[in-house]
Amino acid sequence: MAKEMIAMLLAGGQGSRLYALTEKLAKPAVPFGGKYRIIDFPLSNCVNSGIDTVGILTQYQPMVLNEYIGNGQPWDLDRLHGGVHVLPPYQKASGSDWYKGTANAIYQNIPFIESYDPEYVIILSGDQICKQDYSDFLRFHKEKGAEFSVAVMEVSWEEASRFGLMVADENDKITEFQEKPKQPKSNLASMGIYIFNWDILKKYLIEDEADPNSSNDFGNNIIPNLLKDGRNMYAYHFSGYWKDVGTISSLWEANMEILDPEHSGINLFDNDWKIYSRNSGKTGHKITETAVVENCMITDGCRIAGHVKRSILFSGVKVAEGAEVEDAVIMGGTVIESGAVVKHCIVAENVVIGQNAVVGEMPHDGEKGVATIGSGIHIGERAKVGPNAMVNANVKDGEEEW
Amino acid sequence: MVNANADALGIIFPNSYDDQVPDLVNERLMASIPFASRYRMVDFILSSMVNCGIGNVSIIVRKNYHSLMDHLGSGREWDLARKKGGLNIVPPYSEKKIQVYSGRVEALANVLDFLKWQKEKYVVMADTNIACNFDFKEMLNQHIESGADVTAAYTKQPIPEGVRSSYEKTNYLHYTFSMAGQKISKIFVNSEENGVQNVSMNIYVMERQLLIDEIKKGFVLGNKFFERDVLAPQTEKLNIQGYEFTGYQARIDDMKSYFDENMKLLKDENLDSLFLGNPIYTKVRDDNPTRYINGSKAKNVMVADGCVIEGEIENSILFRGVKVAKGAKVKNCILMQDTVIEAGAEIEYVVSDKYVTVSEGKQLKGTDSFPVFIAKDQVV
Repeated sequence: MAKEMIAMLLAGGQGSRLYALTEKLAKPAVPFGGKYRIIDFPLSNCVNSGIDTVGILTQYQPMVLNEYIGNGQPWDLDRLHGGVHVLPPYQKASGSDWYKGTANAIYQNIPFIESYDPEYVIILSGDQICKQDYSDFLRFHKEKGAEFSVAVMEVSWEEASRFGLMVADENDKITEFQEKPKQPKSNLASMGIYIFNWDILKKYLIEDEADPNSSNDFGNNIIPNLLKDGRNMYAYHFSGYWKDVGTISSLWEANMEILDPEHSGINLFDNDWKIYSRNSGKTGHKITETAVVENCMITDGCRIAGHVKRSILFSGVKVAEGAEVEDAVIMGGTVIESGAVVKHCIVAENVVIGQNAVVGEMPHDGEKGVATIGSGIHIGERAKVGPNAMVNANVKDGEEEW
Repeated sequence: MVNANADALGIIFPNSYDDQVPDLVNERLMASIPFASRYRMVDFILSSMVNCGIGNVSIIVRKNYHSLMDHLGSGREWDLARKKGGLNIVPPYSEKKIQVYSGRVEALANVLDFLKWQKEKYVVMADTNIACNFDFKEMLNQHIESGADVTAAYTKQPIPEGVRSSYEKTNYLHYTFSMAGQKISKIFVNSEENGVQNVSMNIYVMERQLLIDEIKKGFVLGNKFFERDVLAPQTEKLNIQGYEFTGYQARIDDMKSYFDENMKLLKDENLDSLFLGNPIYTKVRDDNPTRYINGSKAKNVMVADGCVIEGEIENSILFRGVKVAKGAKVKNCILMQDTVIEAGAEIEYVVSDKYVTVSEGKQLKGTDSFPVFIAKDQVV
């Protein structure tokens, strides 16, 4: 049975700019928003858009991600025909290859795609926080009679040179592509989400593979080649919330933005577009007599006895009486002991912050440092972690880490 | 074959003691009463069975079971969507000559054929009016080691008030045991004794074949109730042994105990005793985390996911998807799924069922001993 469109989700990125957070897990597996992981967003978008077949291309530290995806049931992607499949690089009779680039990752899985005989393939990236209806994108692609479409966001002209830019005419037809140009001719940034007609994609993947000088990348090779050949390429305008959470500060910011759905644009309280995730299975959270909770997101299994302000607490976080947490993203299972002061930071999973320890501080004088603590770290009593610190080893009692 | 599973199948009676909480079972049954912020009563006994390696569970429903079917689905959340065994919901046949069962003998007589074809050597049976983390494996081991014909679980405690006050109702049956060592020497029905008794939990373990034989025999004699009509008269003939349960239990005997048992979980030591150890599974709703908006106040509460709190909440249990608007005050309340408390409303000692709305500015007060109950879908 042929599928109209299947999704290929690029999830192999190391996310090296997230440092301590991605030491042991791939970027798409990084926890986000209280009970999600980043990959929940593209996966939920697929299901909500009616796409029931998703190949996830993994390469870097895939264990957590593999276990998290499992059989895909939390996203309703455990299907008889289709469903979710994790696709790591594999050994072939003629040797084995790591995925050399984004295009090569798809190239190596041509047989997977062929087995579903799709008309269209959507290429997604596993490191974006975004609620997007891919079926609307496909409708656009079909209406334009496109062979390739790319989702674009309008960005400010000052920022434009940080992005891959699409120059398009009044019919949204792409006439030029600029990768991080000094002199931007457009402010339409590529979101890295593409729809291809499968026959076209396959042809260009095979040609690209045969080119020894290619870096086998969509942005650097495939898209320029399509342009060169004058293919029907269109830019699909997306105007909703979109955030690339590739850096510590953007990840922190995106988390904070869910506290204010009225202004920031990302609303997780949307029954028509639910974001699905694997469930922690813990009891409702508890807030004790001594606790003060102001402007927070709190989820199952948390126990709050301290003062928590403008923060995102993931499942099973404990904040002891007398502890202070502000502007912080605290991931699952972390324990903050009494008297500890935790501010303007990201604390990964299963961290212990000892009594009277200080982690991060509120920004002043334009300083914007977000202190970051990697998973499983122990911060000793009275220890101090500075506002720009990136901690991936235990900090002993009373010691400082800047 | 490698097998860590228990050689037992489970049978759950989800309608037992429905009459004790008529308000709560108006559109459901005991098993699907919401409890402890995100669970239903059946989750506890069902998860306990699964955690002890029981992978074949039948739920013999009698009436009002739509909510339970919806909750359990294929049983996947309890790991019971299986090819072998798994979850089996047994509805009554709607035939004129067969009456809807009233006791376990009749209920089991309806499923004798099913019981005959099962492979497990033992059967464990339970109701759903007690929330606990029950170790069926330990009970089963004791049963096997002691050579008993039947093993019955009990707790040492005074007879609960809600039980005692129900004796005048027709069809209300409650059991206590007189023990000689570990052996149950006599079974009392609706005992009036004061002080600590051996109070039955209505949880039994026995061999499947013995159960089939006894049910056949009892059904022919017109017996209805397993304990009253089959076990109680045979304490001499059968080797019936007691298994004392010493863990945390929340018994729902009436509306007051429902209220109190929920509230008791606000104490960490109680919550930990009920939940630490084996996990309790429930249906997943995929709610987002709960949001506390600026200006909200929360003290001594247990809150599930999906809530939006703008007002004040205190000493309360909030189930999934509850909304408390600006200026609203909620104190000593149990608010079930998707209850909405509108701006400025003040409620105290209220139990609201699912989808209740308390409109803007309304005030509603119950008391400690008599909480106000608002039925499902009502707008106050």
